[in-house]
Amino acid sequence: MGTIQKLSPLLSNKIAAGEVIERPASVVKELVENAIDAKASQVDIMVKDAGISQITVMDNGTGIAANEVELAFQPHTTSKIKKAVDLFNVRTLGFRGEALASIAAIAKVQLITSTDGAIGTKLQLAGGEKKNLQTVSASQGSAITVQDLFYNTPARLKYLKTVNTELNQVINIVNRIALGNPSVAFNLINENKTLIKTSGNGNLQQTIAGIYGRPTAQNLVAVQGQDNDFMIDGYISLPQQTRSSRNYISLLVNGRYIVNQQLTKAVLAGFGSKLMVGRYPIGVLNIKMDPLLVDVNVHPTKREVRFSKEEQLATLIKTTIAENLNDINLIPSAVNSAGPLKFSPSASSTLTTQIKEPTTKQLAPTPDQWIKPGAINPQPIFDDPEHLASWDQNIKQKASDKLLDPAWTELAANVNHQGFPQLQFLTQIHATYLVAQSNDGFYLVDQHAAQERVNYEKYRQEVGQVSADQQKLLVPLILNYPNADTVIINDHLDMLQSVGIQIAPFGQNSFVVTSHPTWIKIAQEEQTIREVIDYVLQDGKISIAEFREQTAITMSCKLAIKAHDVLDNKQAQAILDQLAQTQNPYNCPHGRPTLVHFSEQDIQKMFKRIQDAHQPRREK
Amino acid sequence: MKFTINRNQFIKKISNVQRAISTKTTIPILTGIKLELSQEGLTITGSDVDISIQTFISVSDADNELHIENTGAIVLPARFFNEIIKKLPGEQFTLNVVENNQTIIKSGKTEFTINGLDANSYPRLPEVESNEKLSISAEMLRQLVDETVFSASKQENRPILTGLHLKISAEKLLGVATDSHRLAQRIVKVNNQSDNDYDIVVPARSLKELEHCLIEDNSEIKISISENQILFEFQNTLFYSRLLEGNYPGTDRLIPTSSDTQLTFDAKSLLQSVERASLLSHASRNNVVRLAIDVNASKVTLYGNSPEVGTVEENLTTEALSGADLEISFNPDYLKEALQAFGDTKIEVEFTSALHPFTLKPSDNKENFIQLITPVRTF
Repeated sequence: MGTIQKLSPLLSNKIAAGEVIERPASVVKELVENAIDAKASQVDIMVKDAGISQITVMDNGTGIAANEVELAFQPHTTSKIKKAVDLFNVRTLGFRGEALASIAAIAKVQLITSTDGAIGTKLQLAGGEKKNLQTVSASQGSAITVQDLFYNTPARLKYLKTVNTELNQVINIVNRIALGNPSVAFNLINENKTLIKTSGNGNLQQTIAGIYGRPTAQNLVAVQGQDNDFMIDGYISLPQQTRSSRNYISLLVNGRYIVNQQLTKAVLAGFGSKLMVGRYPIGVLNIKMDPLLVDVNVHPTKREVRFSKEEQLATLIKTTIAENLNDINLIPSAVNSAGPLKFSPSASSTLTTQIKEPTTKQLAPTPDQWIKPGAINPQPIFDDPEHLASWDQNIKQKASDKLLDPAWTELAANVNHQGFPQLQFLTQIHATYLVAQSNDGFYLVDQHAAQERVNYEKYRQEVGQVSADQQKLLVPLILNYPNADTVIINDHLDMLQSVGIQIAPFGQNSFVVTSHPTWIKIAQEEQTIREVIDYVLQDGKISIAEFREQTAITMSCKLAIKAHDVLDNKQAQAILDQLAQTQNPYNCPHGRPTLVHFSEQDIQKMFKRIQDAHQPRREK
Repeated sequence: MKFTINRNQFIKKISNVQRAISTKTTIPILTGIKLELSQEGLTITGSDVDISIQTFISVSDADNELHIENTGAIVLPARFFNEIIKKLPGEQFTLNVVENNQTIIKSGKTEFTINGLDANSYPRLPEVESNEKLSISAEMLRQLVDETVFSASKQENRPILTGLHLKISAEKLLGVATDSHRLAQRIVKVNNQSDNDYDIVVPARSLKELEHCLIEDNSEIKISISENQILFEFQNTLFYSRLLEGNYPGTDRLIPTSSDTQLTFDAKSLLQSVERASLLSHASRNNVVRLAIDVNASKVTLYGNSPEVGTVEENLTTEALSGADLEISFNPDYLKEALQAFGDTKIEVEFTSALHPFTLKPSDNKENFIQLITPVRTF
């Protein structure tokens, strides 16, 4: 007998299972994705011991026909794609035809399924072998129970983590799938305790509420953006509501949860300097695109995907978030951030409705403008039904404005294009904070942070305009690099040249620098040149912009007035006016807030002039 | 140990030693000043490892009014000791070390008791053999340091350039300093009676401290050099400095031997012009001024500008100009510092091209003093 043999199907399934099924969460993922592909609107997941001893996934989807039930557990069988072309046009979550076979190979599986809600099929397998097949009565859909996972692969069983860790993984994966499918109701139960429950009514914000909790969800803002290839919608948190880990950013491509560093970076880039160092936003972004543009057939678990136009997508994500955030008043309310985290619905509704208002108002002419005596040809307007319609609409809008908040229209006149309030300086306290008032309450401004922001925007522009002048060196600098780096640097000499770093090969593994750009600070030549080269070594790109931004931040901080500097009224007012002119007046370049807001309502609440209607009365 | 001494004489002597003592040191005892009393007199030592200064107050010099009761040694905290002595009321003071290194300082009606440290734990000074003697006049040494040391690099990442390169042959001492943007080279007379030539690099900081010690001194200074130390001896004082290790870059070939454009200026008025031009260049990110030379029209113009603030243009007064037309840009701070080193004299400035370093030499001492400035290539 030869030494090379074909592996038995059972053995090759076990090997495949090693790739697809790593832990209970993988089983949950595969089964839930199947349920969604089967067009279920309700998916119930029940696990025991975090799924190690038992996982049950029940759905109300299409079910599997009696004569196909056995086939479904064969490897590489699927109803989701049929021919090679389909592979590049996958619209379902699964398509490889591996999941059921893999699960069956390493666990005891029972499937009850029905296509009509009356007669169904029950199939039991263990270790990939059929144990029992019979006709039973069943409800519409499928119910799969997986027991004793990894019972025949002890090595894998050994490497499972604690029950809590595994349960976390299960919760995590169900979270992500639920976020990608807001129109499916999910229910995750571990030992009779409901862990996740989503409504399935198609409202993403409500789904987020089911996962991250109501207060979090209600403070998120909707983002939308699109270009020719991609459509993005979703919710992101405001910069003041952050987490210390990137894990709360969920990217979904056509309903599939994916992990992609480039795109996550793009999300953060969209926030820019609004985020504090080491803090990350909460966000769910649904990216819709032609399946042709994405290759999901990279890894069996399909967490990593490849995009044909990744850079374009990253740019779109970045600009979408940046634009959406720009429209929003980001002044944190002093009361909400200082007190215990409680949710006040009025604050969020003002956040979302107030800010969009001025732009829509500007776009549509108001009725007053239409009937101005100087307006051209008033006559046709009344004849034209379209104009009449817009007239009606405008009246309605104006009326609703008044209904919303009588103070609002008055305030609108005082708001500049960004929704940043016009601040009137009152006094300085502790020689550090400026107290300013506006029509909607008063503000505390951190004078240092505020001027830092003003300076930063000034220097960022200036730093960008550097000259290409080269200071010659009498004694050249010699830079040594390891072999591998030398090759990369040699490939990028032109690119370095284009940003003013003129280096030439100088013997083996060395480069000689005979001149340097004049924008490099004296006494930092070598360090700066090495830093720029490091960018090239890292990803073959030079991020001079990023580099200079850092310089701008440092400069802005050093040149700003400090805390404990006493300011006179004119100086203080000047800072407030300059701050209002900046692109992002809400944060200093390090991400700290520049000002906090005490709204009139907040103050009234503090003095119990109005009762908080949303707080339940304390029971006696 | 116990002695009485004239307070003013003591303050004079201690002020030089004080220069070597740094408050920032990892060896605590080096924040102290060491006093060592023998029958011949009092030896005072301060050190920060890089520089060590030792001075001797002789009992035979009547001005010192030194009276020794019994000999010994002590290390006292330099910062307090210095201030205490300066503020004592009497013309003399008595210092007495009692038990446990406690030191009593008495003057007039004042008595301080200071906690000292055991002198035996003070590090020993480097040993430099002074058999073959080299000497230089204090004035020459001052000039050499004054006129070159500002060009040394302040950047620690190229340590060798933070020093002054000294080349000593039979008759002359050549000193070079460069931070790779500019260079200053000065040749002074030296008295070398040994057969040895020397090639050493001395930290610029040491030389600056040495220069301070030499103010108002016109004596001849003896120099001894060992493998990694240099010792200057003057007026009962020993000044030790560490030498920098490594090869100093060859600077001879950097100095151009010919030129295409030659200008002669009054250094002082050129300095004033440069200072005016740099007012604006400092405001720009670039810090570059431009010099345009039109030989036929006898016109030399200095331009400075800042995109934000404005521009400055000045026609310079030249004593003489010859050669080819030229436009060259450079950092005005380098020219400014170079001119400051020349003082009030005529200087010759020689250019080769817009991309080559240009030289400055005093008209009356062309061979012995030269400064080099690298231009900025503009686009």
